[in-house]
Amino acid sequence: MKRRRFWSCATLALLVALTAGAPPAPAQSASTLVVGLVAEPVALDPAQVTDLNSTRVARRVVETLVRYADDSTEIVPYLAESWTISKDGLSYTFKLRRGVTFHDGTPFNAQAVKFSFERQFNAEHPANKLGKYPFATYFFGGVKAIDAIDDQTVRFVLKEPRASFLAILIVPAAAIVSPTAVLKLGQDFAVSPVGTGPFKFASWDRGQRVVLEKNPSYWRFPVKVDRVIFRPITEDQARLTELLTGSIDLIVGTPPDFVAQLENHPKVTLQKQVGAHVWYLGFNNTKKPFDDRRVRQALNYAVNKEAIVRDVLKGTGAVSKGPVLPGTWGDEGGLKAFPYDPERAKKLLAEAGLPSGFSTTLWVPESGSGMQSPVAMSTIIQSNLKAVGVNVTLQTMEWGTFLAKLRTKEQDMFALSWMAGSEDPDLVMYPLLHSSQWTPVGPNRALYKNPRFDEVLAQARLVTDQAKRAELYREAQRLLHDDPPWIFIDHEVQTAAFAKRVQGFKLHPSFDLRVETISLK
Amino acid sequence: MGRYLLRRLLLLVPVLLGVSVVVFLVLHLSPGDPAEIMLGSQASQADVARLRADLGLDEPLPLQYARWMAHVLQGDLGRSIRMRQPVLGEVLIRFRATLILTTTALFLSTVCGIALGVLSAARPRSLVDRLSTLGSIFGASMPSFWLGLVLMVCFSLWLGWLPASGMYGAHGTGGLADLLSHLALPAVTLAAASTTIIARLTRSTMLDILRQDFVRTARAKGLVERGVVLRHALRNALIPTVTVVGVQAGYLLGGAILTETVFAWPGVGTLMIQGILARDFPLVQGCVLVIALGFVLFNLAVDLLYAFLDPRIRYE
Repeated sequence: MKRRRFWSCATLALLVALTAGAPPAPAQSASTLVVGLVAEPVALDPAQVTDLNSTRVARRVVETLVRYADDSTEIVPYLAESWTISKDGLSYTFKLRRGVTFHDGTPFNAQAVKFSFERQFNAEHPANKLGKYPFATYFFGGVKAIDAIDDQTVRFVLKEPRASFLAILIVPAAAIVSPTAVLKLGQDFAVSPVGTGPFKFASWDRGQRVVLEKNPSYWRFPVKVDRVIFRPITEDQARLTELLTGSIDLIVGTPPDFVAQLENHPKVTLQKQVGAHVWYLGFNNTKKPFDDRRVRQALNYAVNKEAIVRDVLKGTGAVSKGPVLPGTWGDEGGLKAFPYDPERAKKLLAEAGLPSGFSTTLWVPESGSGMQSPVAMSTIIQSNLKAVGVNVTLQTMEWGTFLAKLRTKEQDMFALSWMAGSEDPDLVMYPLLHSSQWTPVGPNRALYKNPRFDEVLAQARLVTDQAKRAELYREAQRLLHDDPPWIFIDHEVQTAAFAKRVQGFKLHPSFDLRVETISLK
Repeated sequence: MGRYLLRRLLLLVPVLLGVSVVVFLVLHLSPGDPAEIMLGSQASQADVARLRADLGLDEPLPLQYARWMAHVLQGDLGRSIRMRQPVLGEVLIRFRATLILTTTALFLSTVCGIALGVLSAARPRSLVDRLSTLGSIFGASMPSFWLGLVLMVCFSLWLGWLPASGMYGAHGTGGLADLLSHLALPAVTLAAASTTIIARLTRSTMLDILRQDFVRTARAKGLVERGVVLRHALRNALIPTVTVVGVQAGYLLGGAILTETVFAWPGVGTLMIQGILARDFPLVQGCVLVIALGFVLFNLAVDLLYAFLDPRIRYE
């Protein structure tokens, strides 16, 4: 009998121990917005993260000097009210907004701006050792000095002109953080950020949710929801079910197979928006037979991009004609995407001395940031190429392995994407295709080199006048069309599905998730 | 008993050491490195090299292992590479959720499995027996992620009875009822395969035992059938069943990974998957160590349970 009592007591104790300390859930509130994310944020210090889920949450808490306008990627003032660029394009002087404070009460000023950047690239900075800053050299390597001229004025001096510098100041790593909080929280700042944004960080139950509370004294407008809860739900069906049963108000990243179902659903609204992204099939331009321009053109004609967008992506992609997003300021509107023309492809292959085609391999990651449905898409490409005599062996690998293998330069062909989040062609074409960026130094994994293209791109970095830059980038795109470095496939059409009570939400081409504009009915 | 326990606990040390070496090697020798993944496709070689050096990944493997082990022995599992948080804290928070899920699933599968097994054995070839055989084949052959999705679509999407994911509702009370409603689907999903295994084993053991002399004696004494089956036969049939339950406990701890992913259950499994994808070495090593420790302790508990069930078994 005693023993039995012991066991029941032990069981009871275990139950109590396990269920005790459950996080107190916020009281049900009509003004709590629940957002379903594809994965959990890694950390929330924007300077320390590289993934979309983290930055989508972090950007609600922290802000940058300039930002993209509500509907486009035109650059408009944000924490900076105005700016001037010196004639030589080397110094950018910003007038900062007055009366803005961080969530912890620290005043926003030039010192805070200087601190936010220098902590990343200055090894002597007191906050440098408090985190790992992946973009310190990639984005800010060209910054020579940051001077806090007075409380409201800050000047960036560059080592050499960089026409896309304003666009760089919008990336998450360029967010302005509270210096007091960084020094006080140390390494923990990465999981409890303090900024000037519309929402304050409130709590994070690992694996379950990140809770943000509204910033009642937000400087731009009164925020209409009291609280936003971000929940990580990796399984597509679970995310969708939670939306359809009303447990979640908004989800992003609708899987293509669910798009049709949601488009006509009475309970939800589906929104689509082309994002600043490009999905491409890179050639190793230094290897035979890809060193022949005609072969690369032929393969562009051989792939049926419309079919991929229609049948695999179910409309969550827009056919691409090059790396620059159609309809943006740098786009060469006169160019058309390579049409699907297998006959022409065969003819070009024959001209290149390959009338019976050739065999090659294609490396494909199983998944990865911005990769859409890589294996299904590659399988269609494989069968398209087979039809013109090119036998492709698919080699699928896990993302980490894939990235490491691309540094070996042994690739024939590879499937990859680029999410610049910006329409500035410099942030897409230069890293991916300028010959100074050949892997392993930079991300030009196609090992593409075209001297005229290199020259045009370098020139476009030096001019600050946007119209002149646009002219140069249009020429660059014509060069790419004639001498294609990749097979151009698509630009991702992002999707969001939300409950009818969600009002005033708009997807942004930069992939940002601006939930602060939402009000709940 | 005390000495036996001590010996078993001492044996934990070489087991865990072995696990740590294997995990360390498998992780570090598989392709892809954390710096590369953390920096993403935009990074330059120089950035990657700098981060590798920062993380100490450019040192020889034995040195890295020794350094890690030295910290582990002091109770410090290191800091997660991607989350920058101490691994021990992260793993313990998540392990609690996994433990809730696996103990519930283990409880469900043990109770249901034994009950089904006894019922089938008491009336072989009856309807109950045939149905349970059929159910077992289904249960054992359905992959848990598929079963999970089917249950989710039925009970969450169509019927709207149970929540589809998470451990507590975003608008919920955070109390026991909230937890139990979220626990129902993942626990049933996780328990399905184990239930069938336990049921089959209990059935066959019971059938053997019901044919033995002491059962005939008990019946001859005029005991009611229920007493014979439950008090005499079942208690003797429990020894092999408990062994299997112990093994299942280990499988459930490991198998929870899939179920946790399907239902966004915030357990150590989902944490480990994120860790593996990011090659977050300290994090994965920490997760595996904790799971291995759980597995070994479960087995020890089962061995101790033998003595409780069968007074003839004594540990010296």
